[in-house]
Amino acid sequence: MMILAKLAVGTATTLALATVYTFREGTVRVDVDEHHDGGTHVHVWAPAAVVPMALHFVPDRNLQQVCQHSEEWAPLARIAAHELSRYPNTTFVEVEDGEQHVKVSTVGSKIQVDVDGPDENIHVAVPLVMIDDVISQLQARQPAA
Amino acid sequence: MSFCSQPFRAAAVALAAAAVLAPISLLAQGNTTSSSLSSSSERWLHVRVVNTDDKNETVKVNVPLEFAEKVLPAINKNELHDGKLRINHSDMNGVDIKTLLDAIRTSKDGEFVTVQCPDANVRVAKQSGFMLVHVTEKATSSKNGKPVEKSRVEVKVPMKVVDALFSAGKDELDLVAALKALSVNGDTELVSVKSDDATVHVWLDSKNISD
Repeated sequence: MMILAKLAVGTATTLALATVYTFREGTVRVDVDEHHDGGTHVHVWAPAAVVPMALHFVPDRNLQQVCQHSEEWAPLARIAAHELSRYPNTTFVEVEDGEQHVKVSTVGSKIQVDVDGPDENIHVAVPLVMIDDVISQLQARQPAA
Repeated sequence: MSFCSQPFRAAAVALAAAAVLAPISLLAQGNTTSSSLSSSSERWLHVRVVNTDDKNETVKVNVPLEFAEKVLPAINKNELHDGKLRINHSDMNGVDIKTLLDAIRTSKDGEFVTVQCPDANVRVAKQSGFMLVHVTEKATSSKNGKPVEKSRVEVKVPMKVVDALFSAGKDELDLVAALKALSVNGDTELVSVKSDDATVHVWLDSKNISD
């Protein structure tokens, strides 16, 4: 009985710590809804910590093109992500064009892009911390010159 | 001591709760810091474009000046490098803009350029530490043949910003220095364009929203 209790506590603690670790960077949300017959409906909700880990399994040839020019955009993306985290809950760009509405904003510690249109709705929310991790991963995967 | 004893259970629960709540409290602390940073001392540059056509298109851009100051030097593409913009002299039609602005800066307040012609009025002046540029485009009315205002452009830039902009060198505009100079200014309407089909406003204030 005692051993079972210890095992249960150990498993619960490990699970709790693993959950905390996985969700420490928040979640990535991608929603795509096409408003036509047979249109795509994609709803992804995943822990942000999983994304840099998943990059390990992407073949080099698929990342080559992204990595090739990373020295051009990576410092900019890194600085922008870091600076944006200082402005939570702020709308930076908003475009309204009759039926279409595009918004780029920060919601808490995430950058969120919302596109609402007559043909489709796209909502993407990415934790800013994750951007830095992904860039580090991509730079590490850069082929040596 | 039994594993299931009261103090051990309480300690285990407290430890687990602390482990679970630690990131949340850190996140909360982070947000508090961020909120206090976007205080009234923060200067925001706002751009609003309203297209008054059928669709009534609206573009709103809100940028913290400090954000722009940090991000600009990281963009090194074409004419932009280290927060500076290279001037192509072939685009200036032989006008030495630096000497021209030097002359404006050192002179007293007054009007420097006044052009009045049938299709446009142009006025360039220096007033209370600001450089003002007003351009009014005119068109002939189809009703009575008299000139009517087609568009109006008003630019008001603090002289300190102009100085900072041209502080880099003869062939460069120092955008970061200009942003820094701009950030010490109070609420200012920098650019206003009104035409038949669109209005453009560029202004500076301490709010993070444009409404």
